[in-house]
Amino acid sequence: MSPIAKTGPVADPSAGAATAPRRAGRLALRLALTVGYRLVMLTVLLALVFAAVELLPGDAAGAASERGESAAGIAERRQLLGLDRPLWERFGEWMTALPTGDLGTSARGQRVTELLVDPLPNTLVLAVSAFVLTLLLSLLLGCWTAARPGRLADRLVSHASTAAFAVPEFVVAALLLLLLSLWTGWLPAVTVTGGDGRPASWTMLIMPVLALVVPQTGWNTRVVRGALADRAADPHVEAAHFDGLPVSRILLRHQLPGAAPAIATGIATSTGLLFGGAVVVETLFNYPGVGAVLAGAVAARDTPLIAGVVICAGGVISLVLLAADLVRHVTLGGRA
Amino acid sequence: MGVTRRQLLWAGTGIGAAGLLAACSGGDDDGAGASDGQAEKPRPGGTLRVGALGHTSAVTRDPHGTQANESDYLILALVFDTLTVPGAESSTAPRLAASWKSSADLRTWKFTLAEGAAFHDGTPVTPKDVVWSLKRLRGTPSGAARLPGVQAENISAEGADTVVLVSDYANAEFPLMTRFASFVMKEGTKDSEIAKAPGTGPFKLDWFRGGNARLVRNEKWHGGPVHLEAVEVTMFDTPQAMTNALLAGQIDLASNAGAVAARTAKAREDIQVLRRPDDMAMPIVMRTAKGSPFADRRVREAIRLVVDREAMVRQVLSGYGKVANDILGTGDPDFAEDIPQRGRDLAKARRLLAEADFDLSRTYELTTTEDIPGLADSATLFARQAREAGIKVEVVKQESGAFWEKTWKSGDFYTSYWGTNDSVVFYASKTMVSEAGQNEAGWDDPGFDSAYREAIGGTDPKQRAAALRDLQQIEHDRSGYLLWGMADGIDLAASKVRNLPELPGYGRVQLEGVWLR
Repeated sequence: MSPIAKTGPVADPSAGAATAPRRAGRLALRLALTVGYRLVMLTVLLALVFAAVELLPGDAAGAASERGESAAGIAERRQLLGLDRPLWERFGEWMTALPTGDLGTSARGQRVTELLVDPLPNTLVLAVSAFVLTLLLSLLLGCWTAARPGRLADRLVSHASTAAFAVPEFVVAALLLLLLSLWTGWLPAVTVTGGDGRPASWTMLIMPVLALVVPQTGWNTRVVRGALADRAADPHVEAAHFDGLPVSRILLRHQLPGAAPAIATGIATSTGLLFGGAVVVETLFNYPGVGAVLAGAVAARDTPLIAGVVICAGGVISLVLLAADLVRHVTLGGRA
Repeated sequence: MGVTRRQLLWAGTGIGAAGLLAACSGGDDDGAGASDGQAEKPRPGGTLRVGALGHTSAVTRDPHGTQANESDYLILALVFDTLTVPGAESSTAPRLAASWKSSADLRTWKFTLAEGAAFHDGTPVTPKDVVWSLKRLRGTPSGAARLPGVQAENISAEGADTVVLVSDYANAEFPLMTRFASFVMKEGTKDSEIAKAPGTGPFKLDWFRGGNARLVRNEKWHGGPVHLEAVEVTMFDTPQAMTNALLAGQIDLASNAGAVAARTAKAREDIQVLRRPDDMAMPIVMRTAKGSPFADRRVREAIRLVVDREAMVRQVLSGYGKVANDILGTGDPDFAEDIPQRGRDLAKARRLLAEADFDLSRTYELTTTEDIPGLADSATLFARQAREAGIKVEVVKQESGAFWEKTWKSGDFYTSYWGTNDSVVFYASKTMVSEAGQNEAGWDDPGFDSAYREAIGGTDPKQRAAALRDLQQIEHDRSGYLLWGMADGIDLAASKVRNLPELPGYGRVQLEGVWLR
């Protein structure tokens, strides 16, 4: 019997003391529901991954075999990899081992955790740097232009950001490569990995991060600018203008909080795009991350390895989406 | 993603590959591999930074696993020794085995180990280690493909320095198959210890991580002095990134970078473009079995007369290659250079097709993949050339997995590719003799079969040589292959790198002779 359960029926619903725990309870419930929902989604996603690899032509035993290996050899390999067992059984086994941190064994007999232990932190460093930089730049540009609606700066940034978002990562990457490395020699062209599994120099991060940041900043600047414009029409914002408050103060104190949910959703969507872009950018710059692992794993029909990348990337993206949900919930409060 | 399949090929060429440079090389071991071929005195020391292709997902540490990554194979080949390696003067050169000889019936082969050979921890190599390693190799799923015709129980030790292998059948080319996969580890090495297992090779492993590695010189290598202080291997997902790294001075050698990279680097005076001839064959396969439109040998000859070989080499290979004569194994020291080169002859092709009642109203599908650069282009260009002879060919591009499962070995008309090109017998045994496991064209030619058996099992060397010549003539006349050209293997290197590998295929990993100016 918890004290809350005891006091619950006794307390008057209109009493102010009861509303705070209730609101906290609602938040906790909502949090639990959202987490549960995300976990279910991840499980569904993993099931889809297992099924999708099964549908692709060929399998891991064939991909890992030598050309001309006998049918008996391939059958033996298939048995070694457990591919002769039904799909649901393999999926179930992989899922039950998951909570213990066991991600299974790759088609070439390496532990999946071992294959991901270096690439995953590398990709996180890349994606988080890109994420933070994108957030800062787009807020800065968005606010700056929102303070000067319709002026030349606003129009310029507007066009530039649209253009930036329209250019795919690989084009940005190629331009950066030519400009900052091959022509000028300022930055290393590719990432070389040291004995610690990390890029040999931090300067090798600059171009991959920029290649991700440019298109995403384009997109998010538009989102921030748009969300702020929507809020500019709010009565309390207009009232603040009539009251003669400074523009910057109105922007930060009155418009931005209202625009936060839209901005959070926009930037959360970028997380997925950042990971997607990382696959391309990592390959172009030879950056040792999970994007490159994923590309190779799909080609090799290596289900445990693909699922390992998906659970790691999916977990991170889910956390970010969860945070965005929370931001939306907290700022909108009871209005949600 | 075709890359994997291509790399599979590198791994798959396992037995008998690489070899002699047909025309261009004198096998000059001391000369610089570079532009100025003067005999310079090797300078010891320095670190060579090598780029090699590979994917994290495919990393394999096991010397007896299937190495899909060129980077993995390079590292293994520097740390471990195989019994033999590809050579310049003859296809098979000594390595851990200093010499070998066969019994009169060409079935029992004795390999004598090199004097002073020792593991990196100082323990001498014994025949028992070799026997254990070969049996382990034989026990892997691809063991039967890598040591064909050798049962595990027929591998044994003899005395202090000899290993005896008994083949199921007479095989004069037996040593060929000990060149690529016969890596020797210590007897009883556990699977869990393989990543740290000591080898006997010219370099010791300093560290390995995520496909990249650093190797340091083995001062006591049985094969002689090693010049380089260390080798650093960086794995690259794509040849483009690898070439950029070389252009930016981050690596000294881009191994197997390809023709596109060579064109990019051509303008740079500080970069050497090294061509290793006879690296890759991309034949068009015509099914010879009944029911195929190409079952009539006159049709196959017509198809071979239709192709414009010079144009193929120029356009598909960007000129980095040479014209071929429909005989596979172009790098073989015994390649029949005297068989006249087949050229383009549309009039004769039309005549042959008419004689054979070939249906010119039909459209024929030529199946191809994008597994290796240029393969799909070769099909497209051939289709255009065939149209000039009135043959309608439509190119069908297949996804790699589907191709190997559905088309390879059973399709009527498709492109194939092979990275082992220094042995005519290799192809004959693997893809052309009627019972071959990888008989790509479904060929069954009694004349060819008997020439093949004489060539590998005959006791008189002179008769064997004559049979080998016959075999090539028959292949040229009526096999299911159209081999229009041979692609060069292309490495790029900084100008300071000397004495680089010159052999095709797996020969590219022989970095023990390299030094830096």
